[in-house]
Amino acid sequence: MSVPKSWRFAGKPTAVHQFHPVLAPGDAMSNHVFALRARLREWGYASDAFAVEAKPGAPDVLSYRRLFRALRPTDMLLLHFSIGHEVFDQLAKIEARRVLVYHNVTPPEFFTGLNDHSAVHARLGLRQLAGLAPRVDLAVGVSEYDSHDLGEIGFTNVATVPILIDWSTYDVEPDASVLASMTSRRTRILFVGRISPNKRQDELIRMLAYYRACIDKEAQLFLVGSFRDQPQYHARCLALRDALGLQADVTFTGPVPVAGLVAYYARASVFCSLSEHEGFGVPLLEAMRLRLPVVAYDAAAVGETLDGGGILLPRKDVAEAAEVCAAVVEDAALRERLVAAGERRVRDFASDAVAERTREVLGL
Amino acid sequence: MNEPRSERVDIDAVLAEVRERIERKRASGVYGPEVEAALRLPLPGGRPLFVEDLGDPLPALRDAIEERVEYDPRSRKPVYGRLITLARQVAIGLVRWWIAAKDERQERIDRLTLRALLDLRDRPSPGFDERLRKLETEWARYRRDVVAADLHSVYFQARFGGDEPVIRAQSERFLDLFRGRKRVVDLGSGRGTFLQLMRDNGVGAYGVDLDERMIATARERGLEVVAGDAVEHLATLAEASVDGLYARHLAEHILPGELVRVLRECRRVLAPGSPIVFVTPNPRTLSVGAHTFWMDPGHVRPIPPDLFRFYLEVEGFEGVELVTFAPTEGTALSEDVGDEAMRSNVRLLNETLFGDRDYAVIGRTPSARAT
Repeated sequence: MSVPKSWRFAGKPTAVHQFHPVLAPGDAMSNHVFALRARLREWGYASDAFAVEAKPGAPDVLSYRRLFRALRPTDMLLLHFSIGHEVFDQLAKIEARRVLVYHNVTPPEFFTGLNDHSAVHARLGLRQLAGLAPRVDLAVGVSEYDSHDLGEIGFTNVATVPILIDWSTYDVEPDASVLASMTSRRTRILFVGRISPNKRQDELIRMLAYYRACIDKEAQLFLVGSFRDQPQYHARCLALRDALGLQADVTFTGPVPVAGLVAYYARASVFCSLSEHEGFGVPLLEAMRLRLPVVAYDAAAVGETLDGGGILLPRKDVAEAAEVCAAVVEDAALRERLVAAGERRVRDFASDAVAERTREVLGL
Repeated sequence: MNEPRSERVDIDAVLAEVRERIERKRASGVYGPEVEAALRLPLPGGRPLFVEDLGDPLPALRDAIEERVEYDPRSRKPVYGRLITLARQVAIGLVRWWIAAKDERQERIDRLTLRALLDLRDRPSPGFDERLRKLETEWARYRRDVVAADLHSVYFQARFGGDEPVIRAQSERFLDLFRGRKRVVDLGSGRGTFLQLMRDNGVGAYGVDLDERMIATARERGLEVVAGDAVEHLATLAEASVDGLYARHLAEHILPGELVRVLRECRRVLAPGSPIVFVTPNPRTLSVGAHTFWMDPGHVRPIPPDLFRFYLEVEGFEGVELVTFAPTEGTALSEDVGDEAMRSNVRLLNETLFGDRDYAVIGRTPSARAT
């Protein structure tokens, strides 16, 4: 990776803007955009976030249409990419220093037959990505896994910079009502992430069935995350929960503000992910940061993000996952070691260090 | 930065412990069919997830072809809804026959593709099939050739096989091990020399052999012999269903991996505290290892005594010991020399060249743990 020659001769960019089709409060991608915007402004750059759709509560987001007028050739535009959108084709033609920030596209196979709309957009995303390769000066993967994909697709100037997380936002008082709502039962399993077929919350529900039958008959599962994007999958997960008679024991919280999130991490006994596709996996780091032991199935970028900061499951076996969670819940020494390992690992993602790395890669 | 390495979590150890725990739960019935059924419960409300279908595509393809695509042209928009519905219906009406023709062609393509794939699965392409058959034939021939399987063992036995009274006398040394046993199995029982010895001493025993003529000979003597391969036969036995095992000149006829499998099966089928005896040529005696061992083309490879002992120990047998016997007769260097040092050298040479021709490795399955 290197800063393109044309940039170097022309000096620093005159402004650094960012675009993602949808920006919403609380989702990891948008948080990344906002954290980066704050840093860019700190470094003295004019910096705005643009989107096609800004969800209510997303702070200070401008319409993408303004980009076509406002952007100068010496400005830098970071195109955050996680799903296809018609607008990318237009933005790729704007005269500016174009940088693709790749958060990975969920493979369409996960949505086929379940949510045609998502499948179409995922497929579009993969097609667009190939088209963008010759049109950006630099491509940034948020994990080695993503960078490897970029290389395969045909991007030549590729760097890896992890997602920038503003850890200070987690220093809030945990939501008291959430704390109160979580019982004092022995086992409270937590997973955080949009309800989506690639994250396989259905497998977590099956895992709970095993857990209750074979380990602790009072165990509970908390699935924190928005189910708005995948109503079909959510409905089927609910049906599975009911078919297994777990109505009272699996909680779909929907999206929660950060104080609530912190409370879930604080009160849960283990974080378990059986996700089959993650481009990065911010919740893994959140759990480590908030001292919750992590057990996760090794898929896509999960192993790389975890990197010894938790227990990585080499194969998808629901019973095995449950028993590993049980070992973590019941063995205090193991728990302590995992928490320590997690804290060590999460230090690699310290806000300042990641910001510095971003600055260096973008030549700012 | 410099935290001690010991703080790292040994994930392999955790996983090993967990797998053991699951095995225990399976064995005790806690992790029974009901739980398994719950874990396999398909996601209700529609087809399995497409990513799962991809794991077993042919049945899923068949279902997909049968699936009808429904489309409801009605719009639920408040004001223009009826207009939109009407427009859709008109549009559908106008292109209906075009769509139907395309549908029809797609249907043909889908069905032909599925048929072709199913055919290919059940009956690989002729070229592939032929190559596979050729390979199988050649492999079978190799397996036969490597042990000269076509050389009939009765004739071979008649010319090179041991003298029955001699063999019986050799077997007698193991009699005490098997005394009082109810069901001893003799792998590769041959003419039934050992079975006869057992019967004469009131020990319940039966044999397993591959050679039909040998089996016939043994059965003529009223001995119980099962026709079949040793490994396969052991696999059919229930746990702890026999209480002794004897195998003379079997181990050198099979591959090392097969021998390990046999030992593993032995551990399973033998009751606790049962004796196990394998007799095989002793390659430590050079005239055996370098010469007589190879007189039988069916011998795959000689097994050094210490290696055999190791196999038994690794597979969990206890009190493993080695016994050599059957000294070479007739051929020896004269030890009638005056010089003492020279005499001991010649003696050593005699032992090395013309020592015991066979050895037995003896072990026992661990006795039932006292709890």
